[in-house]
Amino acid sequence: MTKRHLVSGLAAFAAAGMIGAAQQAPPAPAQPASKAVVIKGRAPVSNEILKVTLPRPHEADLPNGAHLMVLEDHRVPQIVFQIVIGGAGGYVDPADSPGLASITATMMREGTSAKNTAQISEQLERLASTVTVATGLASLDATISGSTLTENFGETFKLAADLLLNPTFPDEELQRYKQRTRSGLVQQRANAGFLASEMFSRVIYSTHPASRVSLTLPVLDKVTRAQLVDFHHARYVPDHAIIAISGDITMAAARSAIDSALGTWKKGNTPAATAQDPPPLGVPRIYFVARPGSVQTNIIVGTQAIDRLAPDYDRVQVMNEVIGAGPTGRLFVILREEKGYTYGAYSGLTATRFRGNWSANTEVRTEVTDDALRDLLAEVKRLRDEPVPDKELQDKKRGLISRFALSLESPQTVLQNHVSLRTYKLPVDYWDKYPERVSAVTQADVQAAAKKYLDPSRLQIVIVGDPKIGDLLKKYGTVETYDVDGKRIGG
Amino acid sequence: MSRSFRWLVAAAVMVVFHPLLAAPGQVQFSDTKLANGLRVIISEDHNAPVFSLTVTYNVGSRDERPGRTGFAHLFEHMMFKGSEQVGPGEHFTLIFDNGGDMNGTTNVERTLYYETLPANQLDLALFLEADRMWSLDITKENLDNQRNAVQEERRLGVDNQPYGKTFEAVDRLAYRNPAYKHSVIGSMEDLNAASVDDVKGFFRTYYAPNNAVLAVVGDVKTADCLAKIRKYFDRIPSQPAPPKVDETEPPQTQEQRLTIDDALARLPRIDIVYHTPPALAPDDDGLTVLAGVLSSGRSSRFYESIVRQQQLSANVSASSTGNRGPGLFRVAATVLSGKSVEDLEKAIYAEIEKVKNGPIADWEIEKTRNNYRRTMVNNTATSLSRAVSLSRYALFWNDPNLINTYADRIGAVKAAEVQRVAKKYLVPENRTVVITMPKAASHD
Repeated sequence: MTKRHLVSGLAAFAAAGMIGAAQQAPPAPAQPASKAVVIKGRAPVSNEILKVTLPRPHEADLPNGAHLMVLEDHRVPQIVFQIVIGGAGGYVDPADSPGLASITATMMREGTSAKNTAQISEQLERLASTVTVATGLASLDATISGSTLTENFGETFKLAADLLLNPTFPDEELQRYKQRTRSGLVQQRANAGFLASEMFSRVIYSTHPASRVSLTLPVLDKVTRAQLVDFHHARYVPDHAIIAISGDITMAAARSAIDSALGTWKKGNTPAATAQDPPPLGVPRIYFVARPGSVQTNIIVGTQAIDRLAPDYDRVQVMNEVIGAGPTGRLFVILREEKGYTYGAYSGLTATRFRGNWSANTEVRTEVTDDALRDLLAEVKRLRDEPVPDKELQDKKRGLISRFALSLESPQTVLQNHVSLRTYKLPVDYWDKYPERVSAVTQADVQAAAKKYLDPSRLQIVIVGDPKIGDLLKKYGTVETYDVDGKRIGG
Repeated sequence: MSRSFRWLVAAAVMVVFHPLLAAPGQVQFSDTKLANGLRVIISEDHNAPVFSLTVTYNVGSRDERPGRTGFAHLFEHMMFKGSEQVGPGEHFTLIFDNGGDMNGTTNVERTLYYETLPANQLDLALFLEADRMWSLDITKENLDNQRNAVQEERRLGVDNQPYGKTFEAVDRLAYRNPAYKHSVIGSMEDLNAASVDDVKGFFRTYYAPNNAVLAVVGDVKTADCLAKIRKYFDRIPSQPAPPKVDETEPPQTQEQRLTIDDALARLPRIDIVYHTPPALAPDDDGLTVLAGVLSSGRSSRFYESIVRQQQLSANVSASSTGNRGPGLFRVAATVLSGKSVEDLEKAIYAEIEKVKNGPIADWEIEKTRNNYRRTMVNNTATSLSRAVSLSRYALFWNDPNLINTYADRIGAVKAAEVQRVAKKYLVPENRTVVITMPKAASHD
């Protein structure tokens, strides 16, 4: 039997060198442009892309206007459900009370005409079920989500319906909620990642609801029980709701649970909420949050991009895949694997019913802030200036398409895909044609998307870190400096 | 450099199936030991065209020698930097570019690597894991690069976070046993000291087939999968067993207490830990239910009394241990603005005394029982969670079937047992208290 041994350092350098040499000879076998990743190509890879079929849910329109979607999956004795209430999200908050929808949602589980908050907790936790009501600060929808063992579905769904239909918003619990939440609002300002994302959202979305990443103390302090009651009454109507249930359940069992628990949920005849795009971006700036005591610098570079229905959506998604969606993206490979600046470097795309953002982010030790920012911006520039090598593009597209198989493990994810078809009014064969659409994206498409969306005149830079790095940022543009409480203190 | 594969027909192989476990909801699996000592667990699930593979090595931060804290985790990073047939970074590139997911994770007790992939890529995953168990491509350059990444991981998770250093302070003060005294991430100084020779020695000692469990769960056929595993892994020789870890901890005889300053924190925080036996030791079941009664959900004692009624904290957590070695029962809470840490500490002790001396309602016990039934269901819900659970139970307790039986153990715990263990372990002389106070950072 061969003795295990360690490949010597010399041999490894030789292998890397050979790959490097091969790269210079056209046509290059496309490697990521970094010696940090070397493809020896000896591992057995199946080139077949598994044809997967997305299971389809049973669907029905209910008399009160809600739409029901049920995806059966009996492999484990568990049921997950969502009641998505269109028009009850933070997007529709009154201008003077941003966060009202969010507080209303949270407070719905603090008491109903039948049960107080302690009884609700006790019942849920005795059943090992969960029910939560939540909305994003800029979301159009509020969502009641629940999960339960099959045998406790009836009782759990009834409780969810009770929270939806009969919340009493006890004033005593509202005061307690305010007290608990105030501390959280204080505490989150200690987190550099929070400060970075707060500043970034403010810069990208200015007055748009998407600029909010957190409740604020003034709104929390002044919100009243009467406001919650009114918001709930006006907004929690079934007219635009989707009830999505997946797991160990049948359509008939779902219908019967809904008939018995939600029979009194009547149409409100309210129009559907619509979303507006955020105002255009301002001139590019460097927004620096000076955070004393920082040993790392948080960097976010980003811009407004597209909404979910933009014709460019697939192309921008592939572009994002190339530069930084995962550990094989260029940002991770260069900033971490080659340079060792960081634990991670990624990019992301947010595209919903209004124009969202593309952003790249990383956290690096203070001393390499300048190098990391320079290299990150160089990668954005390279995406604009050079076509993506064909092999790299094919790899990224194959990854995106093949990954779809993994989502089939989770009935919730499968159903969520169908819910998004409905939410965005996408064609029913949208997911069936997904591989075809992604495959069709070309090198020129990716470069064109980068030129269009990642133009330097559109890129905003947010930096959170030690006050001493403020000076070195000046060479990247006009710097505005803020303290950790968001007050402008210079620049 | 080249080397031909040597295929070895396994001589002594033990295969144990669990055909009696066909009850609905029960996980079925095969349990095989290859001639080189590699334990192989395979569990079929054909609901989705996907499988997960885990390789769990019996090495964690507790195996680190003095002066090399953080090494087990740094080593984990080196496992992605190339092996005989696989270039640096090629492992994760091949997985992600073929639609998969993968990662590595290190804790006190073990180091785990996983791949989740579409079902047609089983050979790819096995090849990659076998190649890096067989050989590792270790260079100073790669080590320095990953040392940097790990030091940034430490800054991100510890040094640049409020309360980041609290976790380290608690274990350092509570434990006497050096294996459990230091953090998994390790100190900057020790990370700087790690050498290529350290990596080589660690690989030889701990990354041997007889020191690992391989699990494959998902859309595979057991016989076919086992044949492939033999094809890729049989040639890897076993190694002498690694040194045994000292799992003793001398009894603590008086309360230990420390207050630390944290320039990044905004609110005071209290951490209270009590020494306990290892996970799954006889008294651990009672301690696990005790943690549930005290802190699981909003119906828990801590939440209802301290958070909702007294409004001293936004959350008070409690947990029993996951260690194979000496455990800690941990309680932690952040003080609400304007409230005192002294009042919070008193309130926590008052709730603990109430559990010891007052009644525990049936629903509180039922709650924990149902929670563990759901945990068991969740452990089997995805191929990855099932593979992780089977491997952990096999490696730590030599009983992968705990995936089917553990929830029943917890379900059998009675209120009197919860009170007995609370009285035995949650006593002042057995506790260590660390208070973290916010301190304004100096501007320079």
